[in-house]
Amino acid sequence: MSQTVLVCDDAIFMRTMVGDILAQAGFEVVGEAETGVQAVEKYKQLRPDLVTMDIVMPDMGGIDAVREICKLDPQAKILMCSAMGQQALVVEAIQAGAKDFVVKPFQPSRVLEAVQRVLG
Amino acid sequence: MDASQYAELFLTESREHLSVINQWLLELERGTGAAEPVSAIFRSVHTVKGMSATMGYTAVAELTHELETLLDRVRRGELAIGPELMDLLFRSADLLEVAIERAVGGRGSRDGSEVSTPELLQRLRAFGVAPAAAPRQPPPGGSANDDWSAPAPVGSGVLVRVRLLPETPLKGVRAFMIVQAARRLGDVSVVSPPISALQADQFESDFALRLATTVSADEIERVVRGAGDVDLVRVGEDSARTPADGADWAASRPAPDSAAEAPASRVIAEPAMADLALLAQQTGEFPIPAATGEYRVPAIGSPAEGGAVAVAPLATTVQPQRHVRIDLRRLDALMNLIGELVITRGRLMQIAAGVDDPALGESVTQASRLIGDLRDEIMTSRMVPVWQVFDRFPRLVRDASRALGKRIEFTIEGKDIELDRSMLDEIGDPIVHLLRNAIDHGIERPEARVAVGKPAAGKLLLSAARDRSAVMVRVTDDGRGVDRERVLAKARATGLVDPAKTELTDDELLKLIARPGFSTAEQVSALSGRGVGIDAVYTRVRALGGAVDIRSISGQGTTVTVRLPLTLAIVRALLARAADEVYAIPLTHVSETVELQPALLRTLRGREVLVLREDVLPVLRLRDLVGLPPRTRARDARPEQVVIVELAERRAGVVVDELAGQQEIVVKQYDGVKQGLTLFGGATILGDGSPALILDVSSLQ
Repeated sequence: MSQTVLVCDDAIFMRTMVGDILAQAGFEVVGEAETGVQAVEKYKQLRPDLVTMDIVMPDMGGIDAVREICKLDPQAKILMCSAMGQQALVVEAIQAGAKDFVVKPFQPSRVLEAVQRVLG
Repeated sequence: MDASQYAELFLTESREHLSVINQWLLELERGTGAAEPVSAIFRSVHTVKGMSATMGYTAVAELTHELETLLDRVRRGELAIGPELMDLLFRSADLLEVAIERAVGGRGSRDGSEVSTPELLQRLRAFGVAPAAAPRQPPPGGSANDDWSAPAPVGSGVLVRVRLLPETPLKGVRAFMIVQAARRLGDVSVVSPPISALQADQFESDFALRLATTVSADEIERVVRGAGDVDLVRVGEDSARTPADGADWAASRPAPDSAAEAPASRVIAEPAMADLALLAQQTGEFPIPAATGEYRVPAIGSPAEGGAVAVAPLATTVQPQRHVRIDLRRLDALMNLIGELVITRGRLMQIAAGVDDPALGESVTQASRLIGDLRDEIMTSRMVPVWQVFDRFPRLVRDASRALGKRIEFTIEGKDIELDRSMLDEIGDPIVHLLRNAIDHGIERPEARVAVGKPAAGKLLLSAARDRSAVMVRVTDDGRGVDRERVLAKARATGLVDPAKTELTDDELLKLIARPGFSTAEQVSALSGRGVGIDAVYTRVRALGGAVDIRSISGQGTTVTVRLPLTLAIVRALLARAADEVYAIPLTHVSETVELQPALLRTLRGREVLVLREDVLPVLRLRDLVGLPPRTRARDARPEQVVIVELAERRAGVVVDELAGQQEIVVKQYDGVKQGLTLFGGATILGDGSPALILDVSSLQ
């Protein structure tokens, strides 16, 4: 059975792209969220093997969502999706419990490497 | 990666964000320095940045990056919001739009055609102080060089040296993660350079730490590599070489001054810049985005996950809506099919009526009802809220009123009213005309308003409302009203009205100002008054099957109401025959039909005219128009028919062989005959399967 992913990003564009990269690598995208609140909700419902999490999202940002999710499930495997210039935020996300990060613009190989590290 | 498949999605979503940015900018300009608009703009800019970087649209990415940096400073209170900043932000939004359209439009190669805006980027950076952190170059030498740049930290534990891969993104974070990973093996006593420097990216590729652990060197290396982006790891003391002086790392190797050493922004093509400036200056021709080719419709019973949700319009609460994206062409195809089905239904019902079979009759009635429901569903699925076009207008009104020195409170009502997508695309321009008219000619300057006891700021209202099967779009201002005296004077002077006439009703007024070229503007301004104002609107709206109405009270304001059908695709048409051919004339343009009696025809200045009651109308013969030979009288005794068509103030009689009834027809655009034959606005398939061309009444001269 393929591993399941929850993709969290406020941009459809980004969700589509991340979803495609992972789907091509054999993952099953079981859900998408566009706000931090949705991410937490969907994590509860879906318990995916992997979560990709944007940092800047409306409602609840990605870092708070990471905290909430890790409270629910300390074993949650969360990969942060960040942009250039967000060092401090990424560090904060890692401290909050995210397992690794990728930086936009995404290169599929980098995303998949990071995913392997997160799941490995 | 090949991102081209995502270009359309990028464009659609970026436009939505631009719209959001513009709305919040207006809010910000109006507001009291609240944090909310800045955060919202920041989020949108940030999202566009991420998307454009992924697409490889460097011009967009650069611009958004600088804009984001600036906004962040505003957000943190380092910069105050003032007119200068607002101008810069508005200008950035404009250029961002241009950059986005260009990047996706793909004029020329991706690199060559991309425009950046050195001057604007410079201004963004230079606004206030400029602490923009530019990405640093990877160290010279590269990973083949085993000359570790970080001094070995002094302390207990085994020395672990790490070199990151040259293109490691956010290497400070990666280094932090490696240190974290090492901590899981034992105590990390010192790190060189110190953690704080690592996190701030103030190192090149190397760092070192001392780890008190019992695990093997191989295991340490495995764990460190497992943290990612590691080029080299060495566990154990430096042998031959001694670290550079042992001095403080940060002091001996100061971080390069980013402002001075940062590579200059990407090379900019100068001609492209000129274009861009030109585009940006054409605020008078603020472009309405073309159909994005894609939009959202509510999905019926679709699973919740994976649904694309529209960017919520300003300040509305985000509700999880269930949406799917559908290519617009699919919806057009559906519309065509259902149209044909509707036509076939008509024919089927005719046939069933002629056959005395209750079972058949019942089935046909049932099918007919289902087809009707299906048509309604499909038409509903094509509906989009008017805000998709209206959201651009606040910005336009702001710019126009500033340019003209007017103060205007602009309100939009009925944003959620829905119209067929193709109708909405057509209606943008006419509304722009009406708004500009109101700003330019309707609303007075503040001092003139105050002088007559009105508030200094004029009110301008754009509203949409549903009225049975039509949508009413209204533009209302509280300005000076149409100057009837001047209209009347001009009409008298040009012989359009009886010289003795002293009063104009609203309808008469509309008929006059809707005449092509009729303008009373004293001065031609950049915005309107070139004689293409209300008449252009009138013609366009009529061509869409709608109607225009105007109510104007001197000194109190003007209301223009545009009444539009909900959809363009299915229209009722009159079928007319010429020889064996059938042509369709949309009923919206047919005022009446009469039998052609020879007594009705006259010749006036060498042209055939029709005298209908007291009107004299030009005569067109369908056979001439479509290149058929004139009818030979002897063969058919039945008189020809005249279809009286009207468009705006123009009326004409079209002589046809005979009338072949009315039908709902589905307008299909076609390409083949477009060159030269502007006579036809499209084609349709009739109930019996034969094709018919649709006469475009607006093309008849």
